[in-house]
Amino acid sequence: MISLAQVAPQRARQRITPAMGCFALVMLSLPLWIVPVGLYDYLGVEIAIWMLYALGFNLLFGYAGLHSFGHGAYFGVGAYAFGLAQHHLGAGLWLGLASAMLAATLAGALVGLFVSHRRGIYFALLTIAFGQVFWFVSVKWHSVTGGEDGLQNIRRPAADFGIFTVELADNRSFYLFVLAILLLVIVLLWRIVHSPFGRVLQALRQNELRTRFVGYEVWRFKWAAFVLSALVAGLAGGLFAMAQQSAYPDVMGLHQSGLVVMMTLVGGGLVSFWGPVLGVAVYFLARDLLGALTETWLLWYGLMFVLLVIFKPEGLAGWLGALRRPGPRPRAAPRRAAE
Amino acid sequence: MASLLPHLLNGLTLGLLFALIALGFMLVVGVMEVINLAHGSLFALGAYFALWVIAPSLPGLQGLAQSYAGLSIWLRYLLALLLGPLFAGCVGVLLERLLRRTYGKAPLYGLLLTFGAALVIEEMIRILWGSAEQHLPLPTELTGAVLFSGVIYSKYKLFAAGFAMLAIAGLWFLLERTPYGAIIKAGAHDSEMVRALGIDLSRLRALVFGLGAALSGLAGVVMVPIWGLRPHVGIDVVIPAFLIIVLGGVGSFWGAVIASILVGLAIGLTGAYASEWSLMSMYLLLIAVVSLRARGLFGRKSVLEN
Amino acid sequence: MLDGPLAETTEALQHSGNPGAGGTGAGVFHAMTREELMSQKGISRGISRRSLFTRSGALVAGAAVMGPWTHNRVYAASSDKPLKLGFTSDASGQYANSGASDRRGMLMAIAEFNAMGGVLGRQIETIHLDTETTPATGSRVAERLITRDECAFLIGAVSSGVANAVGQVAQKYGAIYLNTNSSSPSEAGKDCHRVKFVWDGNGTNFAKAAVRNAIDSFGKRWMLVTNDYVWGHNTSAATRKLVEAYGGEILDEVLVPQGTRDFSAVLLQVQQAGADVVAAAVGGDDQKAMRQQVAELGMGEKPAWINNQQDWPDVYGLPLDNLFGVFGTTWYWKLDLPGVTDFVRRYQEAYPETAMRVPGNVLYNGYMATRELLRCVEEAGTTNNIAVIKLLEGRKMSAADRMQHDDAVIDPVTHQVQQTIYLATANVGTQDPDDMFKILSHSSPDSVVDAEAAETCKLESYADTPTYEM
Repeated sequence: MISLAQVAPQRARQRITPAMGCFALVMLSLPLWIVPVGLYDYLGVEIAIWMLYALGFNLLFGYAGLHSFGHGAYFGVGAYAFGLAQHHLGAGLWLGLASAMLAATLAGALVGLFVSHRRGIYFALLTIAFGQVFWFVSVKWHSVTGGEDGLQNIRRPAADFGIFTVELADNRSFYLFVLAILLLVIVLLWRIVHSPFGRVLQALRQNELRTRFVGYEVWRFKWAAFVLSALVAGLAGGLFAMAQQSAYPDVMGLHQSGLVVMMTLVGGGLVSFWGPVLGVAVYFLARDLLGALTETWLLWYGLMFVLLVIFKPEGLAGWLGALRRPGPRPRAAPRRAAE
Repeated sequence: MASLLPHLLNGLTLGLLFALIALGFMLVVGVMEVINLAHGSLFALGAYFALWVIAPSLPGLQGLAQSYAGLSIWLRYLLALLLGPLFAGCVGVLLERLLRRTYGKAPLYGLLLTFGAALVIEEMIRILWGSAEQHLPLPTELTGAVLFSGVIYSKYKLFAAGFAMLAIAGLWFLLERTPYGAIIKAGAHDSEMVRALGIDLSRLRALVFGLGAALSGLAGVVMVPIWGLRPHVGIDVVIPAFLIIVLGGVGSFWGAVIASILVGLAIGLTGAYASEWSLMSMYLLLIAVVSLRARGLFGRKSVLEN
Repeated sequence: MLDGPLAETTEALQHSGNPGAGGTGAGVFHAMTREELMSQKGISRGISRRSLFTRSGALVAGAAVMGPWTHNRVYAASSDKPLKLGFTSDASGQYANSGASDRRGMLMAIAEFNAMGGVLGRQIETIHLDTETTPATGSRVAERLITRDECAFLIGAVSSGVANAVGQVAQKYGAIYLNTNSSSPSEAGKDCHRVKFVWDGNGTNFAKAAVRNAIDSFGKRWMLVTNDYVWGHNTSAATRKLVEAYGGEILDEVLVPQGTRDFSAVLLQVQQAGADVVAAAVGGDDQKAMRQQVAELGMGEKPAWINNQQDWPDVYGLPLDNLFGVFGTTWYWKLDLPGVTDFVRRYQEAYPETAMRVPGNVLYNGYMATRELLRCVEEAGTTNNIAVIKLLEGRKMSAADRMQHDDAVIDPVTHQVQQTIYLATANVGTQDPDDMFKILSHSSPDSVVDAEAAETCKLESYADTPTYEM
């Protein structure tokens, strides 16, 4: 089976890699070129937020090999928590985001208790079931969540750094704020996957039984991975609530939880740290560029996904990695993509 | 209590229809060890194709379509009951072909593939039939209500329950009393041996997948007058199917039927007291059951635990 | 009254005859003259290129010092750039049919203006993005239409959730948004916005028209059947308040989840409760199914049914016995008023292929809203949002102009159009399959006004509303 990056030792010690620098450059310059190419700042905001979401998700999906099809629940919980904290507790920016992370972490911790003892199909279907439960609750409990109409009138509080304050009402400045958080989380996630903890997760993915025999309390690691990815999803959700200035139950549904799975796979999350980033970019560009041309764009995207699963589960990152290293492949599985 | 009777009947009807769905799902899991997340879209596809059979729109062949529409509704409906599942079955066979490359790999790929296929099928339905709700035209004898012992009950639901019972009986007969059924059961039990005995395993798999898909399609045709005909009507199909085979155990025919009825009754009864939450009850039930007794009521260790 | 550059050109136009009337290439709307189109209490307005150029000079100078929208404002000032309208009506999901009707009405009005040379000399273009009856999509679509497509105005709504989401985004940028067909009372109440204008009657209006009548005619014991989502809850809550205010009693409320197709349990409860009247707040496809089953069971007569507002696309083509009970609407194609037959004919000429042979309230609202907006833009002489808003607020529209029985006015406090509300029931015994409604009564806007909306609606101030001009 294709395995995820086994990092060369010198790379693991790098906290900031060249790839990160590249990525940061491209994303920082986005406000300059997004409009001339015919797109708009808000799309950049959406892309950055979903990149955050997908990167956290890949910790679970790609690294730990736990296939959660109901992750939208934590994204949604984060969004609602941000809104509710603002409305009922008068929370500002930092407290709001903290509430989002806390709520999603709690939800993830609770669900994790149920699912961490399982794997494979049971795990997947349980996550679907929990995802649907969260969706139902957010739709039915309209006194709190506003039902299908969602939670409205969420403001974008200014970012108060103590010495200076940045207004975030404008999409462009908000984008830069989200990007800053994204870059920070990327550095942290990189550290996590290349830490001993990350290695145990990869071991889990490859052979859970053997990992248990070696002496690790497997379910605790699974639970931790689940909680971490829920935490990141919650942060992304809180940011999303700020972007839309409202929170809706849609992201918790099966369709949208499935979207993040597809984005992650298409981008190559199974073989690369950067896979989810690619996948998110491809999806949103397809949605806005193809979607303007045809209403059937999601069909083509779905077909592409199916074909990739059959023929190239390494996704885009895997394909790019193979391109970067021409010549005879080693006997083992295809080499990894860009770090 | 008179007022609980319609809810019990609802639950029973729902349970019998769930049994159709679950049995189809279980066949695929048993013989092929694949969890088909597209089971719900095949359900929808069967129903939409039935709609097309009853009320076809043939661009360019208006005359033909009109004379066809003049035929008796009963004829068209029965034709739809036959062709809808057949179509779903064919799509199932096609899906199985795509799945072949994922055999032997981790179950993830099968899951992802069927998940992607579900999305593709749903989008195709949206494109071909639009996303607004449609109505499946029914013969008038099947619509309306009957009044008995102070209870108003939908005639169609009685028909649906009866039909489901027939279909279940038919399936049982196929599995237990015909040589094909024996091969299918053998394939579920030990596919290697089946191949060693000279039976074409890939053909068997294709047919079983097709049969499972057809059952789902049949359930779709029968259920959409109750559930509504929308492109995403299949979302709430896979989880109850999975729940039922976990409860009843993979490989147990009557286990699946009994579990289906139990699940149906649970939903029907919650419909009596808290109708807004009734659909959610099956998700909660799944969580409870899997947490407490992963092998189900009648089951043995299965591929699900890989 | 207008002053300044416009006044002089108005005179010029009035003496120049009827431009564009009956001309070739003016399409199917040639019967309407520019004056008729622009008429409001008989005063005609107009604008000429001359005045536009003088004003644009001033605008360019001003725009140069304005800020991030500079580039766009300068461009907008030139009369070559088309005026873009963003359509936010649903094209898929539960309200797809109504959304399509909504759009047709808007397109009819736009075609009429384009035939006259557009608005402010600019041809009108439209961009439609499907909001999928989903608020999250509505939010995103609004962002795109405003920031990327630079639409001058957003128009269209059926689902109140979507209308709310779009309205919020529109307010953020200052883009005027016309909620054409969402009838949730909250749209003119707690979810009102300075940039949003509501063109449909809401649940309270219809309930007010129906409830008192129904209590007097049928009885005091009521039952509520409520679709379990926000619109259903809001509407039933409004009905409940009114019933209790007029001395009636609510026996029970049955919640019906969205997507319910089998109403036998609900109908059984209705039968067993023994109420005099059932008020149903069930919408879209659920309502279709409910109607079918009530008709099958023969329960359409007793108890009496009050169905709040009935959208034409939801009932067109149904068998007549499905149309039981009393319901409300803002307009009907067979009203015996001047202009109605002509409007129906123009619709049929514009859309000969469609299955819906006659227009209904949804199309009507879309048409009226768009037409009035474009008139205001012409009058204001600019697409500047504040200028147009000020014209829309308090705007009076005559009964003859609107083909209704009473004059209508856009309430400046809630931004909802206060208009005639009609009560109707099935037109049993008719030979014409399209003539489904029998109008029972019409209520003047004052008698059905939603007093609570005025209390809960807090419009943002002009200062808090960003300037927006495309």
